[in-house]
This record gives sequence, C-alpha cells and structure tokens, in this order.
Amino acid sequence: MAAASLDHTLIALADPTRRAILQRLSAGETRVTDVARPFAISLNSVSKHIRILERAGLVRRRRAGREHYLSFTPAPLDDAAAWIETHRSLWTARLQALDAMLQSEDAAAARMRQLPSVRKESPR
Amino acid sequence: MKSSQPLIVRVSHTFSASAERVFDAWLDPSRLGKWLFSTPGGEMVHVEVDPRVGGCFNVTERRDGEDVEHIGEFVEIDRPRRLVFLFQVPKFGPGRDRVEVDITPLGTGCTVTISHELAPADIDSKDGVTKGWTDILAGLDRVMAERS
Repeated sequence: MAAASLDHTLIALADPTRRAILQRLSAGETRVTDVARPFAISLNSVSKHIRILERAGLVRRRRAGREHYLSFTPAPLDDAAAWIETHRSLWTARLQALDAMLQSEDAAAARMRQLPSVRKESPR
Repeated sequence: MKSSQPLIVRVSHTFSASAERVFDAWLDPSRLGKWLFSTPGGEMVHVEVDPRVGGCFNVTERRDGEDVEHIGEFVEIDRPRRLVFLFQVPKFGPGRDRVEVDITPLGTGCTVTISHELAPADIDSKDGVTKGWTDILAGLDRVMAERS
C-alpha cells in the first residue's frame, strides 16, 4: 500500500550492503571506487546496489572528469518515517473510536436500566 | 542479514470492555462502520462483513464526494483472542498489507494490539532482488543516527 517512492526507499534499506554504503556516505561525499573497496563483492554488484539507492533518491551521483562521486541524500528517510507515523496515528485513532463507541453503548444501556425506576418515582 | 523481520507498525490500546465485546465489534456490520475507517466529515455508505476465513469485509466511506473502499480478507478468526486479515485500500494501490489484531484479557477489560505489516509493491521481483524485509526499522534507526 506504500506509495511507489516509499517502496523504493524501503527496498533500498532492506539490504545490509546498501545500508553499509549509506553509512559510509553519511561521513561525506565519496568516490565510487572508494565506496566499493571495503566490500568483498565485485564493483559490478556494488554498482547495482548504488543504482537501487539512486532510484530511491537516497544517493546522488556527481561526475567530475572521469571520477564519479556519491553523496547521501537523506530526505526519503523522512518520508518513510512520516509514513510509519501516519499509520501509527491512524490505528490509534481507530482504537480510540472503538473505545468511544463501546463506552457510549454502556452509557445507553445504563440509561435503559434506569428508565423503569424513573417512571416509578414520577407517576405524573 | 541474520534474522528476517518485516517492517511492522504496532499500536496498543487498553479497553474497559471485555475481550469478547471488543472482538465482536470487528465483525458486526451494524457497528463496524461507526468506528473502523470512519473519519470526521465522512459519510459511511457501505459496510459488509463475511466473517469467515477467506471471507471479506468492505467498509466504504464517502470523503469529499469520493467513495473510499477499505477491503480486508480474513486469514484467521479466533474469537476472542485474534483476528488477522489482508488489508487493501484500492484507492492507494494494489498492495495488500497483513493486519493482526491480538486481544489479551486484562482484569475485566482487555488490551488490543494491532500489528500492521507493510507490503511494498512487488517492484523488484523482475530484478531478482529478494525481498526479505529485514530489520528495516533498525536500518532506518542506524542510518538516521549516522546523520545526527
């Protein structure tokens, strides 16, 4: 049910290699080759992870001559956090509405129980 | 990736009403529309519940002239402890999220815990990327912590 951009964000975050890449980039702009170096996988598979991060808008690429630099652009994380918070508050409101309905049923039942005695006390 | 856990939004509320009353409010079509998916200013136009495993509910509210359908397919019905359904709002997309309702008696009342599991659209299946929704919240927390 998530919006397409949020799907991209959550899928990007669902992988430990991609999270590690983001952690490295959070220290500052880094050359692609330096990003790839600590990982025991090919540059090609690192590139695939980077593309998924770029698709999610979590990473921006800057070209300077032959070098490609990556930086972390965290705004989509705020969208994801906001989406989670929206659902939390929706369910909270629904459960409060259920509680209010049950309490008003109780109050109505209590009034019904009082009716016969009210009639007895006021014969007019 | 060690343990695989989906991303879940979890909310709890304690009721003075019994577990049975709270449970029944989820399946009673004459009352469901009074609280579930009812919004201020909205007009409830259709409430239908087929309370069996494989059956569905449909709660439709008119909001600003537009009918918004909420559809759920029941996966588990265990009165008065547990209700699980696959939840979809077609207006917001084709994905179906798993929603678990766990009801625990507490004194003369009960505590209800909603666990809403986020279902991302299946956009990566063609890339062959496995969608283990692993520990995403922890991932979010870590990355957020790195930022600050």
